[in-house]
Amino acid sequence: MTGPPRRRRISAPRLRTRTAGDIGVRRIRWLLVIYALIVLTTVGKLVEIQVINADTYADLGVRQRARTIDLPATRGRVYDRDGDVLATSVQAATIYGDPRVFRATSTPDGIAVPPAADATEVGAQLAPLLGMDATEVTERLERDAHFVYLGRQLDHEVGAEISELNLPGVGVLQEPQRVYPSNGLAAQVVGFTGIDGEGLQGLEARYDTVLSGQPGMLVLERAPGGLDIASGVRELVPPEVGTDLVLTIDRDIQHVAERAAMDAMEEHSAVGASVLVMEVATQEVLAMASVPGFDPNTRGDEDRSTWRNRAVTDVFEPGSTQKALTVAAAIEEGLVTSDTVMSVDDGIVVSGKRFTDSSRHETEQWSVSDVMERSSNVGTIQIAQELGPERLEDYLRDFGYGAPTGGAFPGESGGLLASHEDWWGTSLPTIAIGQGVAVTLLQAASSYATIANDGVAVTPQIVRGSVGEDGRLTPAAAPSEHRVISADTAVQVRGMLEMAVAGEAGTGARAMVDGYRVAGKTGTARKPAEGARGYSGEYVATFVGFAPVDDPQIVVAVMLDEPRPQFYGGLVAAPVFSEVMQAALAARRVAPDGVGQGLRQAMAVARQQAEERAQQEGPALEADDVASPPVGSPAGGDGTGVSADEP
Amino acid sequence: MSAVTAPLRRSRETAPDPRRHLHVVDEPVIRHTLAYALVMIAVVGASVFGAVALNALAAGASVEARALDAHVSDAERTYAQLVADVASLEDPARIRETALELGLVPSGPARFITLERNLPADGAVVATERPGATQDPLKPLLSVER
Repeated sequence: MTGPPRRRRISAPRLRTRTAGDIGVRRIRWLLVIYALIVLTTVGKLVEIQVINADTYADLGVRQRARTIDLPATRGRVYDRDGDVLATSVQAATIYGDPRVFRATSTPDGIAVPPAADATEVGAQLAPLLGMDATEVTERLERDAHFVYLGRQLDHEVGAEISELNLPGVGVLQEPQRVYPSNGLAAQVVGFTGIDGEGLQGLEARYDTVLSGQPGMLVLERAPGGLDIASGVRELVPPEVGTDLVLTIDRDIQHVAERAAMDAMEEHSAVGASVLVMEVATQEVLAMASVPGFDPNTRGDEDRSTWRNRAVTDVFEPGSTQKALTVAAAIEEGLVTSDTVMSVDDGIVVSGKRFTDSSRHETEQWSVSDVMERSSNVGTIQIAQELGPERLEDYLRDFGYGAPTGGAFPGESGGLLASHEDWWGTSLPTIAIGQGVAVTLLQAASSYATIANDGVAVTPQIVRGSVGEDGRLTPAAAPSEHRVISADTAVQVRGMLEMAVAGEAGTGARAMVDGYRVAGKTGTARKPAEGARGYSGEYVATFVGFAPVDDPQIVVAVMLDEPRPQFYGGLVAAPVFSEVMQAALAARRVAPDGVGQGLRQAMAVARQQAEERAQQEGPALEADDVASPPVGSPAGGDGTGVSADEP
Repeated sequence: MSAVTAPLRRSRETAPDPRRHLHVVDEPVIRHTLAYALVMIAVVGASVFGAVALNALAAGASVEARALDAHVSDAERTYAQLVADVASLEDPARIRETALELGLVPSGPARFITLERNLPADGAVVATERPGATQDPLKPLLSVER
């Protein structure tokens, strides 16, 4: 009878009904599980937000409240070689409008919302400050847009005045404006920028990446209402100021060159003129003038043809200035010397075409120097025939013809020089005297600088260096050099070129400069006909030369395009050369090498001029008498220390 | 399910003590509620005041920094404008025009004179020198000429 009780004992727990406590504990445990799941999910999400994707969510948060302000970089300045400013940037005011403020709208519920301000009234207030017609301002404010410019790059004061008006829907922005304080000075060289500050022309375009710098950024925290949080995050990435550019241009010489070119152009009714001044040893360009010019501050009103830098973009036949290179090549090859005498007729026939000198003459026994002095075409052709086409071409290319010079000149042309293999029968004589070949004024000046530099060619330079934030000048890369002719050959050619100016039969007498010995060569070449073969009836007058002859320092090249009625280089270009060379020598403080006045003679001249002036203007004060030698003069009253027989 | 039945088994093995929940307690501690509240208020107040004060200081410094930024920006703008103005006034064309308006005339060709003898600074040789003469570089030249 033990069975049933055991069964009861075994089955008793199964059948036992759960108490309320059991059920409560059970529920609590389930709740704990659910709670644990919730906590785990929450913690997991927190880990995901705070750890795994923390940066992403932080960025999102910052983006919601951050306000980013772009800080434009100040563009670098452009200086001349002495640190005078040629181009700089100032802060200007830009006025904009939000036309939505002046439009009637409606809510999504269809309730009409009147405009916040009256465009006509605002336009009338703005028009006198903007210098615009009120109707035009109003029309812009009523456009179907969110943003309209009302005025750009206005004076800062105008912007401040408009800000004070606190007009609805009108804002003022500050943005840099490029200005050229010297107006049109060296405008074709420096170039200009667009309204957004990007370089468009000249060196502004060529060195845009250097000048423009890197824009910066300012990040502020903004409250929902739009106000900046003063104590919030303020992250500043300052803009990097653009690098300043220092040119080789000398502002004073540039001014003289431009003025002389303009005067010559007007005097001789030319369509254009260019003057280039270059330092011999370094071939640094001191002045590069092209007229007619333009003012980059108001370029929108100017003729676009005035934007180009004629000295490097326009090519012309060098004419007789080329003869110096032909003769230099022949001397270098040992075919002739400056004293070699040759029989020169006034005409020569080559490949069925007759070439003549500018004036008729008997058959003369002229030295090579005489040929140069008289600018004889026939004599030069005879020399070139001994030289041959191949060697002539090689020398011309060595002098820099037929390719860009390699300097940083925007828009530079390489000129035209065909390979000798493509020359015709008449090419040798024509190229020898500067026809059938085209060069830029820069190439012409550079070739003469090579002769002046004892035969060493140097790559011309227009940029002297750059100035970074440390204020130090970082020089530009050193120019390449190569020898074209020997120093002895260069000396012989210099002597011949001096005779072309100072000799009795020289064609460049008007190029002389008081106190200096000048060497140079005139050139007069016919212009090719446009759209047809052959030549037109127009001429290009040139003069290229250097001074002082003993130790050349400065090269000046002058070109007048279509001068009328005079068109000879010796008549129209040589005087410009003289004027510019004189100013350049004085500006560069080059010592004279010519015969000057003795002190006694100079004092006598000064006394005479003072007396004449006194007679014209009445008695002068003793202290104002420039002819009176200063008290305690080392020279004394009788010109002691000065030879008595000075000229 | 064994975990659920454990208490039952335990209760079956040991007889429940009807007074097990009774025990001797200490004398209740007298809590100074008011003082506690005041201290908490002071702490919270100090914390809030500190936070606000720090925020105010930061805001003040930020405003000052912004004012200085504006001042620097304005000074830079003025400097840039002055540089442009000076360069404009130095323009050779403007100076020439102004000079002509003032009645000045362009200078004539440059003239120069030549000295027979170089100055000592240029390498001139001292010819004579009086005893006790000073080392004035011009003296030897003057002595010779006299």
